[in-house]
Amino acid sequence: MSRTDGPRTDGPRTDDPAGGTLESEAPPEMNPAVGPRPSPRGPQEPIRFVWDSVVMGWRWLVRMRTALYLLGVLAIETLIATVVPQAPNVATTVDAWLAGTEGPGATVSAVLDTFGLFDVYGSTLFLATLFLLYLSLTACMIPRVRAWVRLVRRSVPPRSRYPDRAEVAVAFATAAEPDEVHTAAQRLLRDRRWRVREELRDGAGPPQVAAEKGLWSREGGSLLFHLSFYVLLGAVVFGQLSGFTGQVGVVEGEPGFSDTISQYWTRDPGRLWDEGDHAAWTLALDGFEVDWVRDPLAPGAGQPTTFASDVTVTSADGEVTDARIEGNAPVTFEGMKVTQLDWGYAPLFQIEVDGEVVWEDFAIARASGDGIPHFRTAAKAPSAEPDVGLDVFLFPFAPDGEDGPQLTGAPWAEAPLAVVRSYRGDLQLGRTQQSIWQLDTSALEPGGDTSLRPGDEITFDDGVTVRFVELRRWVGFQVSNRPQLPWLLLASAMLLGGLWPALYAYRRRLWVAATRDGTTGRTLVTVGGRAFQRPQAFEEEHDRLVRDLAGATGGQLLASAPPPRVTAATAPSHHPPTAPDPGARP
Amino acid sequence: MSQDQLAELSRLLYSPVTLLLYGTSAAFYLYSLTTTVGRQDQPRGGGRLAALGYGRIARWLGSALAIAGITAHVSHEVLRGIVQERLPLGNMFEFTSAMALAGVVAGLVYLQFVRKRPELNGFVMMAGTLVLASALLVYSSPGPLQPILDTWWRSFHVTLIVISAGILTAGFVFTALYLLRDTAERRVAAARTAVTAGSTVGAAHVSDLHSADDASSVAERVAPDGRDPAGTPEDDDRADDEDAVRYRTALRAAISPWKLALFTFLGTSTVSWVFIATPTLEVGTGVQRFLSVNLGLVAAALIARWFVPFLPPAATLDGLAYRTIALGFFGWTFGVIAGAMWAEQSWGRFWGWDPKETGSFLTWVAYAAYLHARATRGARGRSAGWIGLWAFAVLMFTYYGVNLVIVGLHSYAGLQ
Repeated sequence: MSRTDGPRTDGPRTDDPAGGTLESEAPPEMNPAVGPRPSPRGPQEPIRFVWDSVVMGWRWLVRMRTALYLLGVLAIETLIATVVPQAPNVATTVDAWLAGTEGPGATVSAVLDTFGLFDVYGSTLFLATLFLLYLSLTACMIPRVRAWVRLVRRSVPPRSRYPDRAEVAVAFATAAEPDEVHTAAQRLLRDRRWRVREELRDGAGPPQVAAEKGLWSREGGSLLFHLSFYVLLGAVVFGQLSGFTGQVGVVEGEPGFSDTISQYWTRDPGRLWDEGDHAAWTLALDGFEVDWVRDPLAPGAGQPTTFASDVTVTSADGEVTDARIEGNAPVTFEGMKVTQLDWGYAPLFQIEVDGEVVWEDFAIARASGDGIPHFRTAAKAPSAEPDVGLDVFLFPFAPDGEDGPQLTGAPWAEAPLAVVRSYRGDLQLGRTQQSIWQLDTSALEPGGDTSLRPGDEITFDDGVTVRFVELRRWVGFQVSNRPQLPWLLLASAMLLGGLWPALYAYRRRLWVAATRDGTTGRTLVTVGGRAFQRPQAFEEEHDRLVRDLAGATGGQLLASAPPPRVTAATAPSHHPPTAPDPGARP
Repeated sequence: MSQDQLAELSRLLYSPVTLLLYGTSAAFYLYSLTTTVGRQDQPRGGGRLAALGYGRIARWLGSALAIAGITAHVSHEVLRGIVQERLPLGNMFEFTSAMALAGVVAGLVYLQFVRKRPELNGFVMMAGTLVLASALLVYSSPGPLQPILDTWWRSFHVTLIVISAGILTAGFVFTALYLLRDTAERRVAAARTAVTAGSTVGAAHVSDLHSADDASSVAERVAPDGRDPAGTPEDDDRADDEDAVRYRTALRAAISPWKLALFTFLGTSTVSWVFIATPTLEVGTGVQRFLSVNLGLVAAALIARWFVPFLPPAATLDGLAYRTIALGFFGWTFGVIAGAMWAEQSWGRFWGWDPKETGSFLTWVAYAAYLHARATRGARGRSAGWIGLWAFAVLMFTYYGVNLVIVGLHSYAGLQ
């Protein structure tokens, strides 16, 4: 549009300041100059300004285009999270990226870190996007739900003035009376769960059956689908607040662990979870079964084939339960679900310094893929003076060959060999962040290294004696309580239950008008209808309805007049309904 | 027969038998597509019926070969299942193969029996052949399954996901064809409007195409002139034919093959770079795979360009794409939910933003954006089509990229 600031020159202006072209054919006196527009109100007060901004923001949020942009932003953030390692999932990889040993280099990683891209899902940007999406959803849902409720409660199928001109219209002739045809049509449509208008007549118009179907299911399905996201959000927040997840490793044949807060290796209780919520049972690992495809030439060589734990659970009041926990079959004890997540070997070491045992415990060894696959762990004995540390590399299958043990990398413990390196000095426990699998060797002096088989012992030059007593296995369990699961299931059911009708239900109207033809003495029945979505499906349904109605009233389909009009019906279904559809999103 | 022989038979049934059957079926279908439009392809006189007959015969042969191919494909899957003593849905080769099967079956059932437009099946069969051939890149011999995968949850989750991916692949084919045809129609209409100012021909493809849904009627609408008012009906026919031929030539010429090839190459590269980046592959092999995927798609795009004049109007293709993607989206949603349920059983948490979970969520968001764009005034049509293409790229990245490049809990689904 054009804007005129000064006095208008006569004739069409081509150098319009707004860039548009105003080519008026009207004489100049018909287009009087427009002065500066008077402001509708005085200078804006601050509150007014704030309110207007809120209204504008709300209108922006309600727009579908905004929702699309937000979905796009969400997609980009998710894409970043797919490509960039995420700290909550793979903290070690993130550290490697930051150090520059992996990934695109330390500089790029530092930039990524600045933008918080190593923890996208915890970042403010992600939460803000989610918040805006939910706000947009709410802004869009409120009018839609209101319109839908109004529609379902008040809607009466409208009459059509010209049913024969509807998008799909077929006529047939019958000997039955018009009233009989109308009654039959009403019965037929009611049987098929159409919403049928009660009165046949409306003022002066001829009698007519008006019906509508699919009125609430498509829009209702869409609403259900979108409302499920609130249930989902509620369930996730509820789970964060009142759930519990903890991990613990249990060594075969040992007393096990009891479900109390202090015994977990790592735990993640919700804010509303308290110690009394633990079931306080005790779990002992009686046996752990694991096996592999051992034939190196067989297909899938080296893959595990079995992975199961036999456990005994003793509840707080002394009730004993035996159970078998497998990869896909967690077992729930008094509300706490026990899942088998991880396993490894647990060599029992005894460390003696000057005749005094400073350490005797199972060292929890974890699989490591660096070099020849092995299991790695560390033993830390701070009670010695100075501290003793052992760095242990365990090779489960290292049979003796001609020149010493052959490290095969196979995981079955047929010929276990522990390669042990002893250290003395300061373990720096509690001062530096260190994992239980590895030593912090920065303040330690290497004492010597050797390899041991179960039952062997060695005394190093510095007087440290290491005894490899026996080899067992440990299993890592996750114990969790997730009160949100039923709600998540509800959200999923709503999501899927709403999605199907939202995609496939269609709204359609039908009119049946029967009139007595004075010349032939027969009744002419016109069945007209229109579909708001899926015109093709409606055409078939319409065909069936006409056939059934003709059958019920002894009618004969007319071959010639009036010709069935199938104009808009074959149009692709995505065309917007031409009538106002109160349920549609603006 | 011994296990080895069965395995060998299963491999043979996959390649070359199924691949060849699918490829030939695609060729016959595509040929039949050229006979559905216009009259100039048929010789004058009594030969007209014969030519119509060729199209019908080609269509019939196409369906027969497609069904034979599906039979061979299913037998391959069954034999592989017998050899492995498990459902053949445990690694990338098996996923890709099953995805092709799902797409081809969905296309056949939908186009042949629901939509009654079997000639369009050529493109679906072509895509099926390509997907199946790409499975060669990730081929692995039959083998056992990790115990964590050995559960009915796998059948449930993986089957849903793979079938949905197959359906979404068919949806991608329709989306791509829609964009091609729409671009051609728009350009031709723009060129004609430029010549005949004030004419309404440019609007033909937008909302005016209610009456019938085949390309010859578009040709009539877009180029209704050219008749001699004093001419005989035969003259009219000839004038119509000439117009139709001109329109079709213009449609094909509207799309530059070089640009199409270049953009297809670049677009495919957004996903296929993962073959170069795969740490377990040598760079040479990776580049070779990258090039074969890219060039295969470029070839498919150029073939599709040649067939642009014979395609149904853009609006029909758009409708087909929407229907297919909507069904695929439903299946995908169900599959992801099933995956979350399995994860709760198996990994002890229902959602952990593992790369594969993230990728499937991203795919879901992308297709949700497509469906929302379809319902947004101003974004439906071409914008939605582009979103649909990108959504498929995201799906493929989730499928290949996350398995081959990014290490996560789903990594066992990768190459063996």
